[in-house]
Amino acid sequence: MGVNGNGRPATRVVKIRVRRYDPETGRRWWQEYRVEAKKGTTVLDALLRIKAEQDHTLAMRYSCRMGACGSCGMLINKMPRLACETQLLDLGTDTVTIEPLPNFPVLRDLITDFGDFFKKHRDIMPYIVRESKKENEEPYREYYMPPDELNKIIRFSYCIMCGLCYAACPVVAIDKKFLGPQALGQAYRWVTDVRDEGLRLRLEKVDDKHGVWRCHFAGSCSAACPKGVDPAQGIQLLRSKLVALTAGARREKKPTHVATPTTVRYVDVGDAPKPTVEDKSLLVKHLEETAQELEQDLPYVAQALRDYLRTITSS
Amino acid sequence: MGERRKPRFLENRLGIAGNIIPWVLMIRDNPERVAFVLHRLTGLLLIIYLPVHIFVTSMTVNPQKWEDFLLLEENPLAQFFLWILFGSIVFHGLNGIRLLLVEGLGKGIGKPEPPEPPYKPTSLSSTQRTWLYAVFAIWLVVWIVGGIILFREFGWF
Repeated sequence: MGVNGNGRPATRVVKIRVRRYDPETGRRWWQEYRVEAKKGTTVLDALLRIKAEQDHTLAMRYSCRMGACGSCGMLINKMPRLACETQLLDLGTDTVTIEPLPNFPVLRDLITDFGDFFKKHRDIMPYIVRESKKENEEPYREYYMPPDELNKIIRFSYCIMCGLCYAACPVVAIDKKFLGPQALGQAYRWVTDVRDEGLRLRLEKVDDKHGVWRCHFAGSCSAACPKGVDPAQGIQLLRSKLVALTAGARREKKPTHVATPTTVRYVDVGDAPKPTVEDKSLLVKHLEETAQELEQDLPYVAQALRDYLRTITSS
Repeated sequence: MGERRKPRFLENRLGIAGNIIPWVLMIRDNPERVAFVLHRLTGLLLIIYLPVHIFVTSMTVNPQKWEDFLLLEENPLAQFFLWILFGSIVFHGLNGIRLLLVEGLGKGIGKPEPPEPPYKPTSLSSTQRTWLYAVFAIWLVVWIVGGIILFREFGWF
């Protein structure tokens, strides 16, 4: 067993306690495994090794292993985290407990059902909504969007829908119908988008007692988010926007701020510039010399050069 | 081989336990959650107390009844409850101002700028966090000093 620079052993055996669930018998139990961990071993690595070497009945969901897909959200040491972005030795405990994400129905072991979560996301219409029916159904050109407008929403578009905020939210834990931080954060993202005109349609779901008004700013969603999306900020901004709209302090985003597809003009870049070397003789001479030099060592390159030479002299 | 049974899925909602028991769910760097739980608990206490308070103040119409009621103040338990109530009012009021600014006006939570590693949420590191610590500090000082004055009045020391 090697030793690290800090004098601690490079590998350590970590006890992993997994909360398992069998949907056919309805049994729920804790199961213990031992896995050798070294620097860089993630919780997902450990689980996959358990599945490969010790217990292939263990079920979990994962895909990319690099924090981009948002499939492996779990409750690790009672904290909602991505298994692929949590290293075993970083946790600093000899026993690591792994449970399925709370506030989601458990299908088996660590696999949870995201159906409700995705439905709430669909409810807020996570796409550009235009007032004109034709534009919605037959879009034929992109919409204009200045970079500073993109910067206002880009934070919220980094959401990978891993469900950690939904698991962390204390209001979701009580209210089943609450839209949740993910959906409301995305609602703010689409309402703020300059290309969008669907505020009134989204308000049907958002301006509700199970919508934006149910959030009480516990901030847990933002603290749990692995991507820095900050849903808590989005929800507060969405709510203050609603307050301002209702009080008449702020006017609704004017459609004129949004460039319709027809106003996007393409700049005529013209034809390609003329060749700066009019006289081909220098190039021809250079190519012939090079071909002769390479004749001995690289005959096929010399042949290719002669072929090219033929094309430029013939045209 | 046993007969295949219909799968049953487990409703895994944390409920109130996830709100008030700290070791059910742990979120790092999140004093806002503490404030959220305290705000709800104090709010619950105040909403229960409010009708009682209206009933009690209505007693002043009958001086004899009022005098009888004031005897209740001699009870140490009632005195302790008064102190808890005082703390609740102070916390709920102070935190309420902060929440009005943050939730109603969107102040103190920063601007939605493009995130950069290490992906720290801006809303949790902005001015509202300072306000929160101020709320906690003022609340504790007022509650403790108020308690000293209150209990001296009651003759505890």
